[in-house]
Order: sequence, then C-alpha cells, then structure tokens
Amino acid sequence: MIRRNIKAGEGKEGFPGARGFYDPEVWAKVTGRARYGIDLALPGMLQGKILRSPHPHALIRNVDLSRARSLPGVRAVLSGTGLGAKPYGIVFDDENPLALDRVRYIGDEVAAVAAVDEQTALEALQMISVEYEPLSAVFDPEEALLKGAVTLHDDFPGNIAWENRINRGEAEAAFKDADLVVEDTYALPSFHPGYIEPISCIAESEKFDGLTLHTALQSPHIVREILAGVLGLSISRVRVISPVMGGGFGGRVYGNLKLYLLAAFLSRAAGAPVKMQLTREEEFTVGRPMVAAMIKMKMALKEDGTFLARQADIITDNGAYSAQAPWVSKTLSERNDSLYHIPSISTRVRLVYTNKVPTGQYRAYGNQLANFACESLIDRAAGKLGMDPLRLRLKNCIGPGDTSVHGLQIKSCALSRCLQDAADAIGWTERKKGRGYGISAAIHAGGSIVFNPDFRGASARARLELDGRVTIVTGEQDYGQGAHGAFALIAARALSRVPGEINIVSRDTILTPFSIGALGMRQTTIGGRAVQLAAEDLLARIRDCAAELAGEEVVPEGGAFRTSSGRLIEPVGIAAFYCAKTSGLALTGEGRYVPEKSDYDQSGYGNIAVTYSFAAHACEVEIDRETGALTVHRFVAVHDSGRIVNLLTARGQVYGGVAQGLGMACSEGYIFEEGRVANPTFSGYRIPTALDLPSIETLFIQTDDPEGPYGAKGLGEIVQVPTPAAVANAVANALGEPVNELPLTAEKISRLLHGWECAD
Amino acid sequence: MDKQVVSFNLNGEAVRVRCDPFSSLLSLLRDRLGLLGTKAGCGRGECGACTVLLDGLAVNACLVPAGKAEGLNVETIENLSRGGSLHPIQEAFVEKGAVQCGFCTPGMVMSAHALLKSDPAPGREEIRKAISGNLCRCSGYVQIEEAIAAAADKLKD
Ligand code: FES
Ligand code: FES
Repeated sequence: MIRRNIKAGEGKEGFPGARGFYDPEVWAKVTGRARYGIDLALPGMLQGKILRSPHPHALIRNVDLSRARSLPGVRAVLSGTGLGAKPYGIVFDDENPLALDRVRYIGDEVAAVAAVDEQTALEALQMISVEYEPLSAVFDPEEALLKGAVTLHDDFPGNIAWENRINRGEAEAAFKDADLVVEDTYALPSFHPGYIEPISCIAESEKFDGLTLHTALQSPHIVREILAGVLGLSISRVRVISPVMGGGFGGRVYGNLKLYLLAAFLSRAAGAPVKMQLTREEEFTVGRPMVAAMIKMKMALKEDGTFLARQADIITDNGAYSAQAPWVSKTLSERNDSLYHIPSISTRVRLVYTNKVPTGQYRAYGNQLANFACESLIDRAAGKLGMDPLRLRLKNCIGPGDTSVHGLQIKSCALSRCLQDAADAIGWTERKKGRGYGISAAIHAGGSIVFNPDFRGASARARLELDGRVTIVTGEQDYGQGAHGAFALIAARALSRVPGEINIVSRDTILTPFSIGALGMRQTTIGGRAVQLAAEDLLARIRDCAAELAGEEVVPEGGAFRTSSGRLIEPVGIAAFYCAKTSGLALTGEGRYVPEKSDYDQSGYGNIAVTYSFAAHACEVEIDRETGALTVHRFVAVHDSGRIVNLLTARGQVYGGVAQGLGMACSEGYIFEEGRVANPTFSGYRIPTALDLPSIETLFIQTDDPEGPYGAKGLGEIVQVPTPAAVANAVANALGEPVNELPLTAEKISRLLHGWECAD
Repeated sequence: MDKQVVSFNLNGEAVRVRCDPFSSLLSLLRDRLGLLGTKAGCGRGECGACTVLLDGLAVNACLVPAGKAEGLNVETIENLSRGGSLHPIQEAFVEKGAVQCGFCTPGMVMSAHALLKSDPAPGREEIRKAISGNLCRCSGYVQIEEAIAAAADKLKD
C-alpha cells in the first residue's frame, strides 16, 4: 500500500500540474487586492458596537438605553429584553444574543449600538447605564463541581454542561493483572486559533424576511441555518457570502455567531447595513478559544511493553457558554485511544461551566490536548520498563485493516513507518549528550462522517464554460489551507486539463451545494472526492456531446476529443454547440460522494470517518539549566496523508501546524486573573514569531487511500496534533523529569529544575 | 480633533489630505485614501499586517500618526505591482508557497522590501529578524523565509 516516501524539495510535486500552482487567488493576495472581511463596505453602512459586562457574574437589574438613543448619529440601540430572541447554541441552547437578566463572564454582551460611525457608536455605549447586582463567581472547573458552588445555568445543575463515560473491554481487570501501571495528571490552558484577521461582518437585513451576511466562514451553510432559526427567517432567505478568509483553523467554523446575530438585529432595527468587527482584544476576551483541560490518566502495560488498558478522568473548562465544547471534549477524550492497540478503555469526561470566556474549537478538536497526556504517559511507561520509547510505540501501533478499540476502521495507514522515519531523521540512534529528544504520534479523522450521521458526504457541480474552461461549484471552504487549489488539481486530473483552466466557485450559500464545510478534515478527502466525481461526470457528458457534434465516435485526448476520422474537437466548440442546442444551458456534471453509513452506536462505538491520517513528530531540544530557557533545535514531521495533492501547500500546512503546536508547547495559552483574561494581546498571548521557530523538516509517506480522491487523505488538522507532546517528551528527556503542564515556559522549566514549587 | 493638511508622497504621487494629524497613518491609508492592501490585525503594533515603508523604513502604520508622514515618502503594497506585473519579491512569494490565507502577506512583502533595499544579500538570520515583527499564523514562516532569500537572488540578476 505504501507507494514511496517523498522528501520536501525532492522533485515530485504532487498531482499533475501542481508545480508552480497552488491557489487561484494567490495573485490577488500577494498584490494586496484580495478583499477580506475587514476591507468590505456597503453604501449607507452603519458601524455596530457592543456593550459588555465588566462583571464575571451578575444579575442585570436595569438597562437604560434612552440617553444613547438620543445621541445624534445613533440609528439603533438594543438590549436583551427588547429583542425577543430565543436562546440558541450549537450543541445546546445556552446563549442569548444579548444577556437578558444575567451576565456570566467579563465580556458578556449586554447591549448593542449602530451609528453612522465608530466614534459615535462608542460614545453611545458610554451613555448606556446598566445596573448590576454582582453574584459570586467560579473560575476553577474543579471548584465549580463542588457541592455548594454557584450555578451558572439553572438548566445545568452542578455546572456540568456535558459528560460522558466510555467503557470498552475490561479495564479494571487489566489494571489488576498489569505488570506496570503509570499515572499522572496533565494540565493545559485554553489556546486561541490566533488567525491574524479579526472576525468582522456586514449584515443587511430585509424588512420582512431576509438577511445577507458578508463574513468569512468555514461552515457558511450551517451558520445560515442557525441564524435563520434565531432570527425567525426562512432559511432560503438567508444568504451568507464569504470574502477571502484571513485564517480559520477551526475558529471560523461558526466564527462569532453573536456578532453576526447582533449585526443582523441592528440592521433590521436601523434599516441599513451594519458592519461589526472584533478588536484584537475582543478576539481574545470574547472570541472562542479551545477548552482548557485537566487530564488524569493511568495506563496498564505488560512487562514486554504490550498496552493493556487506559483510564482517564478528564475535566474540560467550558467557560460561560458552550458552543462546540461538548464535541471537542468528546474527541479529546477518545481519539488517541485509536492510535495503538489498547484493548480496554475506561474514560470519564466532564465539561464544566465557569465564569470565563466561552469556548469553541481550534484545529484538531482537542485531539492535540489529549495527545500531550497520552504520549507523555507512554514515555513515562517506557522509562519505567527500561524500554526505548520508539520501540514501545512501534510494538503497539495500529495498522492497515485494523479496527480500533472505539470501532474506527483503519484503511491506509503508515503509522509505524512515520514513527520510524521521524526517529531516523532526528537521529534517534545517535542522540547527542546534553540534548533532549522526544517523539510523538497521532491519528486524526480524515473526513468526519458523524457530524451528521445522515449527511456524511459532499456534492459538487462542474460546468463547461463557453470559453472552454471548467467551473467547479462547491460548498467547501478555503481559509488559506489550499482547498481551492487542491480542488482545481483534482478536477484538472479528472478532466486531463491544466489546473489553471479550472475556476472555483464557493463562498456563497445561494450558489453552492449545501455543505458541512471545512471541519473534520473533510475538504480534500470528502469535498475533493465530490469534485473528482463531478469532473468525471462532466467529462462523460462532454464526450457524449462531442460525439453528437461530430456525428461519429470520439476518444478523449488531452482535454479535447479525437474523432474516429481523426478530427480534434475542442471543449470551446462543444460548449458552443450545447449552448445553442439548449438555448443557453451549459454542460454540467454532478458529483455526489456518499460515504457508507457508519455503524456508530449509542456508546460512541463505530467508524467516524471515511479514512484516517497519521503522523509522527520528533524533535531535539536543549535546556539552559541556569535560566530554564528551552531551545528547540530541530523538528521533524512525518505524515501519512495518502497521496499528496500538492507538495508545496502540503509542506506549508505542516510548517504552519508545527508552528502552532510549538506555540502551545512553549509559549501560548490564556492567563486568567479572577475571570479576566490577563493577556488579551498578541504580545501577551505569544504566538510564535519567525525568531522562535527551529528548522522544520517535512516528510510524507504516501499511502494510496481507497476512499480519498486519487488516494489522497486530509492533512490540515493533524499537522498540529503530535507537536506539543513531541516537545514535552524531549524536555522531559533533557530534564530527566516528567513534564505535565503546558506551555513549557522558562519559569516552569526552572521550577522543574530547581524545585521552586514551594516558593509560590 | 483639529484637522490639518498633511502633504506627502504616496507611492510616487504627491498627495494632500485634510485629516486629524494624530489619527493613524493606517486609517488615513485605508479609510480615507482607499488603499486596502495594507491590512490591520491588531491596531497596536504587534502583528505587522499594517507594515508600510516610510522613507524606505518598514513601520507599523497603525502606530504612526498621520501627521508624521508630512513631507515623507510613503510606500504601500499597491506600489509593488504597478503596471500589472509582480515585483520579484511577490513572484518569489508565489513560487515558494509563502502565501496561505494571505492576510499577513502585504505586510510581509513590505518588510522584505525594506530589508532587501538595505541589505541585498541577507542571511537567514537577517531575514528572520526583518520579519520578526510580522506575525503569520498559517505558514510557520519557513516558505516566507525561502521566498525572501529567493527574491534577493532574483533582484541580484
Ligand atoms: S495592525 Fe499594525 S501592527 Fe497590527
Ligand atoms: S498567510 Fe495567513 S497569516 Fe500569514
């Protein structure tokens, strides 16, 4: 199944035509002509601003809007009671567009203003008076679980937003019979996707039934449904148009629903388009970072290193409202169990409300958080067994044809090869003294099919244009990860064209087929497969039409058709013939990719994706024993994402994902003080700069996946998953001490080195 | 705020605008003059998306008061591809895959432009330093650094 191992820069560029091609919009982006959300403006547009709670938890006694309303230039002022909106949410309905009688975190939306300019809107906010009655607040999820803790939502007693228990095999017995049991507790803060373009939108509400929302989203079709529901509009009267997206990484799957809703309400009230934009500080304080997690974990092994069981007790910090946090918590609690053969699992996970920033999602849905715990604990076990951590992993790796403990059906899989090659590339057998080495592996769903078990796939349309070019119409989204370029390459391959002859139309819910969007590594695997099928369908129709036009048999020849008498019929001629014959229609092809229904059951057992991608990361670090400063010298990332569509962009995905993972490992993370975000700036939050990163080597083990288009599998999310653990394991190796908290700042490492924990 | 006339040279053309001299050069460029190629990611000098050249030096336009441009040369991303063809730095960005979402790209390109004006053959460390004020969340910087090195080579020939 393994075809070959491609080194970055080694000639092979990906699918035909990939060399020198990657993004149909790259020219606009590099010249500054691409239009992002922040660049948009509409005639007569107003500016919207939000008044936010200064309290982490309080009752609202009264909101007085009258002074703000009378300020010249103000066109609409809204509070929660005036909206008459129903609560909404993503997994459950625990939010209101504006707070009704209670605020639950510092930043909670209390009132909103639309005015002729930003200055006037800000002035109007100052003129709104709100009477609060502060309540006691709870910031620590463990405290929130205690009896007697203040409750955030009456519908969720004990502050548990969601919980789940998973039992597979015989964990208890396995722990009894084990030769070795290792355990530890791991803590990770909240991480923000940190896209550089802040979220913004323009809403144009129609008087009775209708809304056009201009904002860049990874899942515009799904957001459209939510907006229609809350605003009481017909779904087909809500249109979402996405400009170019300045980064997403999961943070723009739903984006900032509250901002869109408030813009829509303000626009409806004012009778004009309303633009709203989060400041960078708001991105950090009210945007939707990923849950923080506390993971208590235990592993049982045989003396020879065979994994027997894993037990975990996980608490995830939901913040004040829940968005996708239940799904994130679920992935976090399960995914790593399918990376190795582990016959018995016993997991409890609780998602807990606290009076802090509500959470959402970031790139790999929590898989990367649990990976840190699982892969750290494996190294700990290796140490106790006196076994090489690489060998211990190789002994237990999942492989092609296996079904994992949770029922995941593994198709193509080069996990052990990824591990071996990562180790070889970092120099595992000749590790230098004075340096630390770490390795970590990962699995991630390559095209999730359980987001909606009845809607698992994707569709696309392909159209032959009068100029002979082919347009692909897709509901999938490009946030910079290269989906459009990949679709062009896939379509070009199916049609024997060059990718530059393919137009991609997406980003508008009125024009594109319904789609789940850019999540669960669906784009290449599922979206791309639909594009392939659409292009193939179109090709068959073009061929029939060519034969009809020629009046004889034809065979395809490099994008055109050769008749049996030797004439060449070009697509332009076929398009013109069909257009005339049908009074204006174009030849179209449809692609429907409907993955097999999953056996996924109530207990969460069953296949969750069309296929799975794998990776192993390894690194070499050095620690300054005086200061605790950590230097990552070299980093190797080896990936099995099936056949690589475009090596240039695949490398870019890996570099970017590793950089984000290194941020998590070394510097990033939310810091809270009494519920207030203490570091709501780029400099405080510390995403890596060019000076912070080591040299990164990328390698691709190209398996041929049976499901993905031409053997390709997803890459965009897994790139970040094994990184934090690889660094943590290298640091633990250098220190000779286990590491169980991220990020590994110099202070933290110093504490481990000098045992300073008693000092603070 | 009191308005004042600010005159400067913008991408090779003389401009005179009445504006609040203490408002940012970024908002003057984007909101008043319609040059939207320069981006805004933080408004406080931390992301570099707003990088423009002020008399050849890379600055964060969000931190520069508009009045400071008086009598100086301001160069933005729009100046680099005048006449429709890409500047060698832009060409290199495209060839090396240095553009993902592209939001940091104009700022990155301008930082690279300033660097290559002052140092036509920078080493990897100089390149990293020159773009260390430009955050990119997509790329891990590797292909951006490769692009700037390649652009230096292109400009040499
Ligand atoms: S917008 Fe100027 S540095 Fe971020
Ligand atoms: S390309 Fe997206 S931030 Fe740099």
